[in-house]
Amino acid sequence: MKKLIVFLSSFLLVGLFVFGHQAQQPVQAAEKTYEIGTDVTYPPFEFANEKNQYVGIDIDIMKAIAKSEGFKMNIKPLGFNAAVQAVQSEQIDGMIAGMTITPERQAKFDFADPYYKTGVVMAVQKDSKIKGLEGLRGKRVAIKTGTSAGAYATARAKEYGFTTVTFDDSDNMYNDVVNGNSAACFEDEPVMQYGIKTGLKLKIVTKPAEGGEYGFAVKKGSNPELIAKFNKGLAKLKTNGQYDKIKAKYLSTESTKKATVDHSFFGLLKENKDALLSGLGQTLLLTVIAIFFATIFGVFFGLLGVLPNRFARGISNTVIYIFRGLPLLVLALFIYTGIPSLTGQKIPAIVAGVITLMFNEGAYTAAFVKGGIGAVSSGQMEAARSLGLPYSKAMRRVVLPQGIRIMVPSFINQFIITLKDTSILSIIGILELTQTGKIIIARNLEGFKIWAMIALIYLIVITVLTWLSKYIERRMAN
Amino acid sequence: MNRIEVSHLIKNYGSNEVLKDLDLTVGNNEVVVMIGPSGSGKSTFLRCLNRLEEPTSGEIIVDGYNLSDSKSDLNQIREKIGMVFQHFNLFKNLTVAENIMLAPVELGKMTAEKAQTTAKKLLETVGLADKYDANPQSLSGGQKQRVAIARALAMQPDILLFDEPTSALDPEMVGDVLAVMKRLAKDGMTMVVVTHEMGFAKEVADRVIFMADGHIVEQGTPQEIFETPQNERTKDFLNKVLNA
Ligand SMILES: Nc1ncnc2c1ncn2[C@@H]1O[C@H](COP(=O)(O)OP(=O)(O)O)[C@@H](O)[C@H]1O
Ligand SMILES: [Mg+2]
Repeated sequence: MKKLIVFLSSFLLVGLFVFGHQAQQPVQAAEKTYEIGTDVTYPPFEFANEKNQYVGIDIDIMKAIAKSEGFKMNIKPLGFNAAVQAVQSEQIDGMIAGMTITPERQAKFDFADPYYKTGVVMAVQKDSKIKGLEGLRGKRVAIKTGTSAGAYATARAKEYGFTTVTFDDSDNMYNDVVNGNSAACFEDEPVMQYGIKTGLKLKIVTKPAEGGEYGFAVKKGSNPELIAKFNKGLAKLKTNGQYDKIKAKYLSTESTKKATVDHSFFGLLKENKDALLSGLGQTLLLTVIAIFFATIFGVFFGLLGVLPNRFARGISNTVIYIFRGLPLLVLALFIYTGIPSLTGQKIPAIVAGVITLMFNEGAYTAAFVKGGIGAVSSGQMEAARSLGLPYSKAMRRVVLPQGIRIMVPSFINQFIITLKDTSILSIIGILELTQTGKIIIARNLEGFKIWAMIALIYLIVITVLTWLSKYIERRMAN
Repeated sequence: MNRIEVSHLIKNYGSNEVLKDLDLTVGNNEVVVMIGPSGSGKSTFLRCLNRLEEPTSGEIIVDGYNLSDSKSDLNQIREKIGMVFQHFNLFKNLTVAENIMLAPVELGKMTAEKAQTTAKKLLETVGLADKYDANPQSLSGGQKQRVAIARALAMQPDILLFDEPTSALDPEMVGDVLAVMKRLAKDGMTMVVVTHEMGFAKEVADRVIFMADGHIVEQGTPQEIFETPQNERTKDFLNKVLNA
């Protein structure tokens, strides 16, 4: 038994080390490669195009500046809030995400020179009679979390007598208005313009207010040379006309009216086939890696929980209690953003994701491993010991084989649960199936059809897994 | 030489005193039958003899090894003292033959081939030669118990402990199991048997021990105990059992 535990724990440690190490290499090896965070859903500033490449005003400006100033960078579409936290915890070097410069933000960020002037506008349904804030009394208004437009609306809610509802994505916010659940939404002008040009059935009814300015940001005091490079590059783009070209590319009517897109279910499926497949691939990969580590973790702590040693059982119970008790979402955010701010050590999202799943699914695995072994009658162990077999041999040859048989259905069930739980990791920006869906929807605003597609893909995969598990269970029973 | 020497054995479960200062010796080739009311501590006593239970205090010496001595290898001592349980406890994940072969092979007592011939031979002696490849779940209670005896015998023990080996059996199965035990006794196996089968005790036992309330109340030859019991509690118990 001791040997088994030593083996398992060293395996776990080596696994974590190798995995963590590998994933960290790009961060260390490339000192000149800046990691730049951005939003996933903020066209025309950032969005994935049909080929699943990131484009948009922010992206193009950033790339042009990197090119002219001669530095390397990686754009990371983490989502606005996640990017803010990633910059603050120094997971990434900076962010460009249609971020309005405010005094509040200036307390925590250093901003480069503003690269875009904008203002907040209000949009309503195409046939709505509401003409301004006055028409909102008693109505509900959709806003997006953490945006200046949202703050603008919230500050006026009392005066104009409306309530607000918050969304994480622009698409969900728009659709709340399109569906008539909310009377209006607030968004920065270019964003709203782009959405309407893409086919959103909304209209803008106010003049840009609270003229704000977008800025590239780094953590306060952390990266003056990057700010300097950005400013220098931006000035060049403005003088050589490249800046205007980029803006026109995304906002001029001609360029956005491309060849008519097929908006049918199958048209969308065909167009996004590659992105969806690659998202599914990430989901499956994440599931398999996570299950691998969760199984090691779970078997280790499950076995610890049946040892004839009160201390070992105490550890097992505590670990199971903590990690089963924490909501997966909280655990993911804590590991991804909380731990780095404590330790100063960056964690790549995929590693944070795997660790999250390892803890959470591993705790459930530990519980059923413990339960499975506990369900083997104590007479089996006694009979084995009475023959002179040592504890470890009795465990391995008699108790475990019977326990495992009891656990098989739980293992398979846990595999399916893990697959579904990977979707929660979209919160830390891992490009798995759910995140892929969010990104596609940010571009084409076809929430209903794309979510239907994604739901269907999950269902198909889970159906196949369920068949497979029934087959394995039947084989085990014979 | 004595096979088992127990002195001042005390076992408590919390504040519940289950064995109260027991002394007992079992000689080589001796068959000792323990009787007594339920809850009197018979099982606990047997389980102390192979250390499935840890005594609270007292000394137990098996084949010359002191069980409570930290220097003695418990697993090695257990190889020499087999146990047969009321509920058989056959390994459910193994076939009948594998049940018998597991310990000798795992502990390096026999090669796999030797273990197979041993298993065949043992199954023959308990009258179950045709069950070699059977699954334990497919056997009747009496068959299971005979396999369990064969399993214990495969380790070639010096001593066998039986804890109510026939109590969980249908009446028509009891005879087969007792027959196997009688033959073992005749062949000179040292045995400590807890049972309610008074016929077996009368026929096979060298000594009968009556236990009550954690004490050895009375012991003697079967004749002494069954025909001229001295203690009131013994008389009372035998009355109840024999006239039931
Ligand atoms: N594991 C245990 N924990 C607590 N009490 C026990 C345990 N095993 C046995 N006992 C108690 O010890 C006493 C003797 O039990 P046992 O040895 O099984 O008696 P017998 O075999 O003579 O019927 C009973 O009162 C029983 O309740
Ligand atoms: Mg008993």
